[in-house]
Amino acid sequence: MKTLWDLAANQSAVVDTIDTQLTTSVISRLEEMGFSEGQCVLCIRRSPFKGPLVVQIGDCVYSLEQSVADKINLALAS
Amino acid sequence: MERIVLVGKPNCGKSLLFNQLTGLRQKVANFPGVTVELKTGQFNQFEVVDFPGTYSLHSLSKDEEIAVEKLNLAVDDHETKLVVCVLDAARLERSLVFALQVQALARRNNKAVVFVLNMIDEVERYGLQIDADALQAELGAPVYALSAKTLQGVSEFKNALPELVAQTTVPDALTIQLGEQTKFIERARQLNAAYGIRSDVVLKNQNRIDRFLLNNVLGGVAFLGIMFFLFQSIFTWAQPLMDGTEAAIGWIASTVTGWLGAGMAADFLNDAIFGGVGAFLVFVPQIMVLTLIIGILEDSGYLARAALICHKPLSLFGLSGRSFIPYLSGHACAIPAIMAARTIESPRKRLITMLTIPLMSCSARLPVYALLVAVLIPSDATFLGVFDLQGAAFFGLYFFGIVMALVVSTLMNLFTRKRHELNDMPFILELPSYRLPHWKPLLQRVLNSGVQFIKRAAPVIFIVSLCLWTLGYFPQGAGLEHSLLGKIGHFIEPIFEPLGLDWRYGVAIMMSFLAREVFVGALGTMFGMSGAEENIAGLAAQIQADGLSLGAGIGLLLFYVVALQCVATVAMLRAETGKSRIAWGLYVGYGVLAYCIAALAAHII
Ligand SMILES: Nc1nc2c(ncn2[C@@H]2O[C@H](COP(=O)(O)OP(=O)(O)O)[C@@H](O)[C@H]2O)c(=O)[nH]1
Repeated sequence: MKTLWDLAANQSAVVDTIDTQLTTSVISRLEEMGFSEGQCVLCIRRSPFKGPLVVQIGDCVYSLEQSVADKINLALAS
Repeated sequence: MERIVLVGKPNCGKSLLFNQLTGLRQKVANFPGVTVELKTGQFNQFEVVDFPGTYSLHSLSKDEEIAVEKLNLAVDDHETKLVVCVLDAARLERSLVFALQVQALARRNNKAVVFVLNMIDEVERYGLQIDADALQAELGAPVYALSAKTLQGVSEFKNALPELVAQTTVPDALTIQLGEQTKFIERARQLNAAYGIRSDVVLKNQNRIDRFLLNNVLGGVAFLGIMFFLFQSIFTWAQPLMDGTEAAIGWIASTVTGWLGAGMAADFLNDAIFGGVGAFLVFVPQIMVLTLIIGILEDSGYLARAALICHKPLSLFGLSGRSFIPYLSGHACAIPAIMAARTIESPRKRLITMLTIPLMSCSARLPVYALLVAVLIPSDATFLGVFDLQGAAFFGLYFFGIVMALVVSTLMNLFTRKRHELNDMPFILELPSYRLPHWKPLLQRVLNSGVQFIKRAAPVIFIVSLCLWTLGYFPQGAGLEHSLLGKIGHFIEPIFEPLGLDWRYGVAIMMSFLAREVFVGALGTMFGMSGAEENIAGLAAQIQADGLSLGAGIGLLLFYVVALQCVATVAMLRAETGKSRIAWGLYVGYGVLAYCIAALAAHII
């Protein structure tokens, strides 16, 4: 399945579910930060050497490291 | 006293609003071991409490847990009359998620809530508007649109506060109960869709600047430039202030001892108080300058970018991207560096960072390095024919410190990984908008850093200073060689023997526990020289004539790189980790490590 980590710079996608490998408190924090089902996310930047990626979701810009970003699943279409 | 509680998400401008309400007289309450800081100030007859910025009432880390717990207590307290939820008008959705949760909490405790729509100046700059009245009707609580920066709307808010505090019946509009997690998120989204401004408008500027500052090449250059500037400023700007403080203390010392005339009291004041405790005050300007610059970086929004840039390389050593600034600051002084580690999101990485900061070669080690390098290396020697060998040695010492820190942090990370993996904070970082910092919160922060340093370190420094002075002074008139300290030095000489050092070095090392630079003066005294601090070359020549073997000299240098010879750092670590066990354990641990390295060097070379 495609995750946020697979998103290339300047691509956008729709958030699907969050992998339950993350603890429930981290998942609910991500949801509070805007990463909930159906939200549109835009990748602003990829860093070299698998560094954190930068995404825009709603009215905020966040930087996430791989261990978090690859737990956020994206919906297939769009 | 009737209390007003201020809450909001990070970067909503809460600190600035707090400062605009309360002025400069504030009290800061810290809780041992966590970064939670409650600032209390006065507005008219009310007490205003500023809570740390949080994204949610559901805590992720120990720090957040305590912050949320304190908030619960405060909202429950009968002195608390009003909860002010600060919103970032340009990011309504994100700030409402937390604000709505707080509103529900306040309602459960029957407390009045008011919303502040801050940063309204930015919204207007985009040529947009927010219908505060309609929002007020939807939220069921008063909404005040204002700008803490331009002060637009602030006086209306101030005028309304007494009435808001006095209101007895709490309007009951909100229907979401605490615990209905997703409903808060949905409601915030809904309200934002109806009243908020478009996010691409808000983020356009920020993204444009980021295209440059986060660019792989240009961003890297900018990063190096900014860090170089930070590093330089600590030395070039702080130096005159430090010299000034030193001169002032010296002047006071000579004036006071002049009145007293010669005698034990004068000696005590001169050496133990002005010499020992005074030597610490010299670091206050450095700490304040460093705090100022870190504050500017944070309030302008660059600190988050710096953390992002450094995250990947530092995570290889078990550190966070936010460990970079503390490490860099550690090269000036460990104290502000340890305070700067507060911004690190993961408690475990924060601890590892704090525990390895003392390995950075701080400026107090400079005189020690200067002396020993001058002893060991002729000033005209070159390295590979081009580099000045003395300069290369300095570089090598700094480099050795950094390598040691990375090795130690990697090990600490390996050993603590299993236990903490689960409740560790992942690296999720909001990149805030770029803004010009406001001087008020900055000034507050700078003053605070100085006060906190003095409060935390002064008592310990005083005690250690007193002990060392007593040991070095009695029997009276005997001189350091025949003092109690000298006797102890002779007695424990066997300890220093494997390092190839005699008792004189041992005494100087013991004396330098107060502060590393004391080593130079103390060693000077042992070699019958007064004022060795001003005449490093002279003392170096004496030591050369006396004969210090290369191995022992290098060992001693490496000892000073690693050993935690600083009572102020120990005091700070104790305050920040909340455990004396950790602070003193680290002192002993680095001491033993330094000793082994020095012994090894003395043997091999
Ligand atoms: N334009 C504008 N900037 C503001 C306003 N309030 C705060 N700021 C700036 O926003 C940044 C973050 O504010 P701060 O008070 O540190 O936010 P906190 O994290 O909520 O305490 C700082 O650079 C402030 O100077 C405002 O009303 N308008």
